[in-house]
Amino acid sequence: MEFDRELIVRAQNGDRSAHEAIVNQYSAMVFRLVSRFFRNREDVEDIAQDVFLKLFARIDQVRPDENFPGWLARVTVNTCYDELRKTRRRKEALETYGPEIAGGQTTAPREPDSLGRARLALQRLDPKLRIPLVLKEVEEMSVEEIAKTMGLTQTNVKVRLFRARKKLQAMLGGPEGDSQ
Amino acid sequence: MDLKGIANKPMKKFFESERNRFFEPDAFFTQRVMAQSDAAKKTAHGQDFGFWDILPSSTRPVLALAVVLILCFVVVEIFIPQYPQRGMVESFLAPEQSPVESFLYTDIDVPSQDLLQQLIEPED
Repeated sequence: MEFDRELIVRAQNGDRSAHEAIVNQYSAMVFRLVSRFFRNREDVEDIAQDVFLKLFARIDQVRPDENFPGWLARVTVNTCYDELRKTRRRKEALETYGPEIAGGQTTAPREPDSLGRARLALQRLDPKLRIPLVLKEVEEMSVEEIAKTMGLTQTNVKVRLFRARKKLQAMLGGPEGDSQ
Repeated sequence: MDLKGIANKPMKKFFESERNRFFEPDAFFTQRVMAQSDAAKKTAHGQDFGFWDILPSSTRPVLALAVVLILCFVVVEIFIPQYPQRGMVESFLAPEQSPVESFLYTDIDVPSQDLLQQLIEPED
């Protein structure tokens, strides 16, 4: 994606119209990336807003000669990671201390279809493993791009991808899972 | 090992379906972000901070107690009369008393017991 260095410099000087232009230009990219990790429109919108507010707060840290879209993608992925971790902690707390739901249930929960099971399995993955896997398989990023976006080494990304796939395989029952 | 290696069709299908699932910003997204950014800037400059927000949280109870004590002192100063020998009722009624009544109520020269007895005794 082409980006305007002049725009970044203007934004760094506090030009409001430059900030607005950045949101106009990059909101679709941020929305697309956040949508990979969240399925609810309101969540996606809240996180995207958060990303731009973080960007404006740290705009001085951006070097105009740096790859701005890559930098923004990194802020977006980090914000998603924080939010996924928070969601995971809330869910765990609810499961541990929340009300007993299963006891009061009169009907058996509906068995999810194969895509539903895949989605659930992916949601159960630790965000540390889930994010690189989604970036690789859905965003079709290279290992190098993922490493840059997540601030990791390429080896670390490869290890995480391997672990993520292994865990998914275990959760879905491996090749036998196909027939289910 | 990749997804082909796993031979996990549901997972592959799922990722393919995910590629087409994404949200797009609506027409007012930029305006909302700019409004939030403006509000955040105002907050950062302290324009929206009140007196209590400026104070460190540890000093708030002490200052609150001090304010309450000052208010109590002001209330006491306003409602309790300055003269210690006069109560609230007397000070409230004071403007309604005529000079004679005032003499009657506030005269400190109490007559002697004999004189009082003479005054009280019925006349023959």
